[in-house]
Amino acid sequence: MTTSGNTTRDQVAWLARRAAWGLRPGQLDELEALGTDAVIDLLLDPSASGVAAEVSPWADLVYDPEQGAQREQGVDALGRWMTRLVETDRPFEHAMAWFWHDHFAVSYAVVNYLPVLLAHLDLLRESALGDFRRLIRDVSTDAAMLIFLDGTTSTGEAPNENYGRELLELYTMGIGNYTEDDVQAAAVALTGWVVARRRGYEVFFAPPRHDPTPQTFLGRPGVSGVDAVVDAAVEHPATPGFIAGKLARHFLGPADTVAVNTLAASFADADLAVAPLARAVLEAGLDGAGAPQVTAPVPWLISVLKATGSSLPSRGVLGLLRGMGQIPGNPPNVGGFPGEQTWLASSATAGRFTAANVVARTTPDGAPVLEAAAARDYDTLADLLLRPAGFSDATLAALDDLSHSAAPRRGEAVLAVALASPDVLIR
Amino acid sequence: MTDDATPDPRPRPDAPHLSRRTFIGAAGGVAGVAAIGGGVWAALVRERVDDSAGRAAATTTTSMAPRTTTTLGGVAGVPHDQRVLVIVELAGGNDALNTLVSADGRYRDNRPQLALPESELVALTGTDFALHPSLASLVPLWEAGSMAAVAGVGMAQQSRSHFKAMDTWWSAVPGAGLKTGWLGRWLDATLEGDNDPLRAIALGGGSPALVGTRTLATVVRSPAGFTLQTAPGSDNDAIVEAFLSTAGPLSDQPELAAAQYAIPSTLSAVELLASVSGGADQEFSLADDANTVTDLLQTAAGIIDLDIGTRVITVGINGFDTHANQLGNHAALLADVGDGIAAFLARLEVDGNADKVMLVTTSEFGRRVAENGSLGTDHGQGGCQFVVGPEVAGGRVVGDYDFGSLQQGDIPAMLDTRSVYSAALDWLGGPTDEILDGPHDRLDLLSV
Repeated sequence: MTTSGNTTRDQVAWLARRAAWGLRPGQLDELEALGTDAVIDLLLDPSASGVAAEVSPWADLVYDPEQGAQREQGVDALGRWMTRLVETDRPFEHAMAWFWHDHFAVSYAVVNYLPVLLAHLDLLRESALGDFRRLIRDVSTDAAMLIFLDGTTSTGEAPNENYGRELLELYTMGIGNYTEDDVQAAAVALTGWVVARRRGYEVFFAPPRHDPTPQTFLGRPGVSGVDAVVDAAVEHPATPGFIAGKLARHFLGPADTVAVNTLAASFADADLAVAPLARAVLEAGLDGAGAPQVTAPVPWLISVLKATGSSLPSRGVLGLLRGMGQIPGNPPNVGGFPGEQTWLASSATAGRFTAANVVARTTPDGAPVLEAAAARDYDTLADLLLRPAGFSDATLAALDDLSHSAAPRRGEAVLAVALASPDVLIR
Repeated sequence: MTDDATPDPRPRPDAPHLSRRTFIGAAGGVAGVAAIGGGVWAALVRERVDDSAGRAAATTTTSMAPRTTTTLGGVAGVPHDQRVLVIVELAGGNDALNTLVSADGRYRDNRPQLALPESELVALTGTDFALHPSLASLVPLWEAGSMAAVAGVGMAQQSRSHFKAMDTWWSAVPGAGLKTGWLGRWLDATLEGDNDPLRAIALGGGSPALVGTRTLATVVRSPAGFTLQTAPGSDNDAIVEAFLSTAGPLSDQPELAAAQYAIPSTLSAVELLASVSGGADQEFSLADDANTVTDLLQTAAGIIDLDIGTRVITVGINGFDTHANQLGNHAALLADVGDGIAAFLARLEVDGNADKVMLVTTSEFGRRVAENGSLGTDHGQGGCQFVVGPEVAGGRVVGDYDFGSLQQGDIPAMLDTRSVYSAALDWLGGPTDEILDGPHDRLDLLSV
């Protein structure tokens, strides 16, 4: 298995695995007919092809602040998100929003107020392919972020450097490009933004809490206020490379340095517009710049739900994700979800096996994957799972042995093992 | 960043092939899967455990203290190859100054809101230090001479970045950009025969300290949910067996091979840990913080009692990044740590395993001396560590917080954490200095 493969079908399947988080049965044929370039266009700009704009999964969610209702509403909200990921016709927007969710790593466990987290997630999706400077600016005074990294409690008298540090280390340029003095300067310059919990978590700027003393920040004198901090951070020469490299690793696996340098240069030239960068990353992947990747639990599960048409309720989906160790809205720390090797750990492997069995059981009769599995048509099954080159020898032999043992529900059993196989974990 | 920050121990593409025994061990569990938690399953686990214990007994000729007579801090001489090192990782940067509290007045001067009331502190006999009141359950260990503390400890080139600092703590070679961890290198160096993934077990999330170039490790994020389940009425045995079959023959593509490696070791681990981890289904909750030090250490005690050759266990817990409103959170976190360690030691005593275990706490850095305006503390440098075990020269605080020479407002790391690691590896039987780029001063942490 090469990164993408040579035929149009291979290339479109590669895009579908990495950028669309799977396809529903029949869609691979449709996309293959469109051709690789048109598929990239469709991923990047679905509106141009007449796909309706995305409505927030939480548009009609009325938040009930009653203590007892909060937990249920949280489960409901995350469930709607997962359902939308399966049903959306704008999958790349969501995949990019997920990238930013991983990047900023705002966690419900810290924010602890659902509407603010959901507004943050909407912001990430709506800005996912927009202007990077605008995104950093908006996130810097977003209520969820002000709570997550303590901006709301940071004052001129005692600046809290949590956001200032991560803005530099994690969100823009990466370690090694700034000093501890820069961290403190950012903290001072960013003071004054407050989330008013008693006024519906409204964000406002409170001059008495702000220290307007001009700071020297990243070599620039006279920096004060959030706009100047954001400008200095995003205009730092290391920022385009840091972001381009991270995006490339996210979609391509360990991409080669030359490819990343090229991506960084064009990202800088495009004034940090994300859409052209994302397009360039996908094109680089099709040109072989990437490597096989372990699929994280959320994209893995969304892909198999799409392929199977599983009727599993969203609550069940969340339970399986918990079992595999990746809960949307809850990155474990400010570094985001752990690296892909984590998903080879024993816990995640056991969780994936269980999830595959649950998905196979909830796959409706007559679903193409189930028919192919029952008919021992492994080529079709692999193709429906977006592996048009077929399964590995080990998996093929395992499936065939299983289908010849006297198992009840033979098709379902074969499907479960196919879904759990290493072949479908590696994308 | 993320990828570098938390790589998990995993089978490396260049790792030696899994042994036949490991494969068979995993396959042996297949028949039991239908009966997880039931008699068949328990019998299978027991079988393997008894087998393992029998082998150990047959090959052990040195004197091992009888189970009934071991006493904490007393008997030395458990053979090196039966010793287990337990590392408790307090992720986020534990606030050392509010954990192991100094009598230096500058502590209170810098923390008008956060300094712990003197009347609530738990004095450590024979020292000027005291413990956070939530750690009171550690006092009996201290009084018994089984626990030492290290103050003002950290790495050279200590970074205030979580991720940089953790990389260094885990690799234990500052600035070298090593991809291996200090425990992983020790496991590599002492690897003989079968590459058994159960030699090293990470509970609560993978510790990069366990990453080696040859060693396999087992990572169990949440012991309670660590099961394999098939749908009701399906052919469990056949499905699990087919899943196992997808693991071989190994692909020549490294990523696919790594995913294959994970399967038999997972089946082995599920088989063995089912008996010590409860296995109850967890209800879904938004905040994924179900793990506690207390629960994870109880699982660790269960693993140690299985006597299956596990040499290193890491226990990881999050939440120590206390930038805001830290008093209540930190108290709860430390109560879990203190009570968890005390309960762990008590369990080891009951099981007759106390002499086999050394426990060391770690965290990637300490926190700023001065409190911030959010009733919290920002990232700092020098931290503190606790070392607990039968051959620990306990009842002492080694080192100090040097308030007189703060570095950018931080306690300097006057002691190298590799000194603590060195004592731990010495106790395990070494080799030590080649693993830790030593030699480092052992700080007389061991009594023998």
